[in-house]
Amino acid sequence: MATIPQLELYHLIEEAGERGERVVVATVAHTRGSTPQRRGAKMLFFEGGAVAGTVGGGCVEAEVWAEARVALRTGRPALHRFSLTADEASEEGMVCGGTMEIFLDVWNAQKT
Amino acid sequence: MSGAGDTNLSAQLTRAVARALGDGASAVLATIVEAPRGVGAKVLLEEVGGRTGTTGDAALDDALAEHARAFLASHAEARTLRVGEFAPALGEWRDARVLFERIEPEPRVVVCGAGHVGAALARLARVVGYRVTLIDDRETFVARERFPETGIELVAAPNWTDPLRELIGAGRGVSVAVVTRGHNEDEECMRAVLAARPDYVGMIGSRRRTNIVLARLRESGFDEELLSQVRAPIGLDLGAVSPEEVALSVLAEIVAQRRGGTGRPLSEWRRQK
Repeated sequence: MATIPQLELYHLIEEAGERGERVVVATVAHTRGSTPQRRGAKMLFFEGGAVAGTVGGGCVEAEVWAEARVALRTGRPALHRFSLTADEASEEGMVCGGTMEIFLDVWNAQKT
Repeated sequence: MSGAGDTNLSAQLTRAVARALGDGASAVLATIVEAPRGVGAKVLLEEVGGRTGTTGDAALDDALAEHARAFLASHAEARTLRVGEFAPALGEWRDARVLFERIEPEPRVVVCGAGHVGAALARLARVVGYRVTLIDDRETFVARERFPETGIELVAAPNWTDPLRELIGAGRGVSVAVVTRGHNEDEECMRAVLAARPDYVGMIGSRRRTNIVLARLRESGFDEELLSQVRAPIGLDLGAVSPEEVALSVLAEIVAQRRGGTGRPLSEWRRQK
């Protein structure tokens, strides 16, 4: 999944808000070592199931998806740490090995 | 305490972001990501001074606004800092962490002049991911048949000034390469471009030829500091010969300016022992 231009990203959040739909916005807040995405990379998870953007491939995406589903339900934002140890990364055949902190924020949390 | 969780605030923030981006202006979104309270609270701080949202603590909001200026001046897209690192006076927030994110229009390259170098630069900048506008006063040079690729906006303009001002807007995220066919066209473009103050301005030509144009601009009252920022002759020293190579050297300079690179070989340290 490609990165989304900022204008489009905030437009998607706004449209979801107009439908009364929560959006979890995952943002790479901090990285150490070799990580698959740059700081600031974003992925959106919509209450209706749609997603957009990416925070960096198979190394962390499955875990981020799981946490995003929790955040969609609870409406509580939180910072999550993911470590990509060299071992895990090489098993998956991926070029990451480092830590990523990903902030899962909840937009449009309150139902209108 | 109000995070983006509040639907009204979410809508206010998304509208404020859209407005800033539509105006070609920059802003910083500061979000509390780790703290005993207030996680998710955020403030949008516009470069021109507007503020949307609050952390619920006016002193913290002010500290965020203050640091947002330094953050904008850096080349970072996003950075997470402990409050203690930028506002040590705010004791109770010291260990809280704030994510600063740059909100900026999509990076654009405006190419003035659709000759060999201009055409090659437009195509290359598109490949590298910039939005591209190519402008010329000769309609046939910016005919769509010459540029079938999508994503290159073509502007035929008998007068360069008005379309350039409109294209550059507030100038954030905009790089302008002036590569027209002659002094007079270069000068006309430079007058319109400098007044709009984009992030990057470069002008093609030899040292002598670019000096002539810059001297004329100086005589007509352009600020010396502004003129000293102009990249003229345009581009990094790659020893470029062909138009495509020249375009590469120009685009390399634009990327280095945007990302804060030096343009020096990364391997240089190996030979400096």
